[in-house]
Formats: sequence, structure tokens, C-alpha cells
Amino acid sequence: MAKPSAGFQKKSKAQSEIPTASMADIAFLLLIFFMVSTTFRREQNRHLSFPRAEATQKVDEKRRNILHLWIEPDGAVYINDSRIPMDMVAEVVLPLYRESDRHLMIAIRGDRDVPYKFINAVTEQLREANAVRVFFHTDLESRLARERR
Amino acid sequence: MPMLERKSKVSDEIPTASMADIAFLLLIFFLTTTVFEEEKGLPIVLPEAAAETVEVSQSNIIHFLVREDGAVAIRRGESQAEQVVAYSEIEGIMRQEIANNPNIIAAVKTAPDAPYRHMINVLDELQSAAAQRISLQLWER
Repeated sequence: MAKPSAGFQKKSKAQSEIPTASMADIAFLLLIFFMVSTTFRREQNRHLSFPRAEATQKVDEKRRNILHLWIEPDGAVYINDSRIPMDMVAEVVLPLYRESDRHLMIAIRGDRDVPYKFINAVTEQLREANAVRVFFHTDLESRLARERR
Repeated sequence: MPMLERKSKVSDEIPTASMADIAFLLLIFFLTTTVFEEEKGLPIVLPEAAAETVEVSQSNIIHFLVREDGAVAIRRGESQAEQVVAYSEIEGIMRQEIANNPNIIAAVKTAPDAPYRHMINVLDELQSAAAQRISLQLWER
């Protein structure tokens, strides 16, 4: 008992396939976009252990306006991978601060065991360079861990 | 002899159907392996170098003295009496002080040879207590 209309069924001329030819182009375009827009910081990691704090918050500032200032446990200061004598920090930071149109923020990345006098010397230098917006880089600490100290 | 030429059955096109899959695979690989370094920490605004020294009434200052071994003592205003406190108590004390006097300044005086992390611990407590006016100083004795 065949359907009577089966023999007369018209073949649809509209294609039933989704055109996928341009899919590769789209994907490569996205790939290239992400590859180009990713910027790598060329600075090397100094492997310090940072202090922990519960009040740690994200810093809402453009990446290019943040300058990392590393302080090693012996008081050695590094900016952009070069060692800076303590009394030269202001001279190094000042032109960078001017270049950034006074938006520069300093990330003080001090090791947790640095004697405080070095931190104080650095903040004095930063004040001299007018770069007064700073933050002390810390790792987030849970409340429980904090209560145990 | 064009008539006798055999038609090759091998397709002469490069198969591009899987190209999209390859590209998306690469895309997803790069998306997942990229880690963004977070900028995080305890923000503070330092006083400007040219700023005039402002005389602040001693009654508006609470000193936190951080010793080399990490012990913290509180000294209020003029009095020389020092009261040793635990880190966990600082937040509560500071909240109380702010409630009593919103203009209170927390002066953190750290000994020159005290490890930096002790100062951060105190600063952490003060920022947790929503203290706005914080001054960081070297404790010169």
C-alpha cells in the first residue's frame, strides 16, 4: 500500500546542508586575533614568596600603567629585570611616571622576609618620584589561615 | 587521442572539510592555556613628597608598633603605655576606634629589621576594618 502521492513528490531545490566552507576562515580569524592581541610580559619571574593578606583585592588599573618593582630578601631592587640601586629608584621611576601621563601605579612585589627598612626606603623614593599610588602585592589568604597566625 | 583519455577517479581537490576543526582545536588550546597574571594586593596612596607636614592632634592617632619578632603593640595618643595585642584583635579594635572617631589615623610604625610580612599582616587587619587613613612609618627608636 504505497502512498499515492509518492511518485509525484517534488524534489526541493533548496540545499539542506549548512555551508561550512567559511568555517575555517572564521576560526583562523579568531585564532589570529587572539594571538595578536595577547601581549606577553617580557619580565622574568623572580620567584619570591609574597606575603599573604585576607584583604587582598584586585587592582583595577590598565596593565600598561602598572610597574612592577621587585624587592629581594637582601634588599636588592629590580625594575624591568635590571638591578636598581636604592637611591636611583626615584630617577628610574620618574620618567616612566611622566610617560604614563601620571597614571602609573607601582606594584611593590617584596618578598615576605624583606626587612621593613628596605620597603620604607623604596616608598620614600617613590614619593620623591611623585608615584604615590602603590599597592603591596599579596596573595589571598583565607580567614581561617589568618586566624591561625 | 582525446577520446580515449581515461577520467581519473582520484579527486584533485585538497579536502578542506576538517580545516575548521583543526583551527578551532588550536583556538581552544590557546584559549585554555593562556593564563593572565592577576594584579592584586593592598592598595595605598603615599603622602606626596611636597606635602606640607600637617600637625595632627595626638588624640586622633593610634600607633601600631610592629617589633622585629612580629609582636604588635598599640599606643594611643600621648600616653606612653603600650598594649601588646594579637593580630586577630586588631580588626575589632580598629572598628571600635573608627566608630568612636571617624577621623582617627592608624600609624603603623615598623621596626627597621622587622620582616615585611608583619607590616602586611597589620595593614591587612586595618584594611579589613575599612580604615581609610593609614600612615606607614619606620619606627626609629
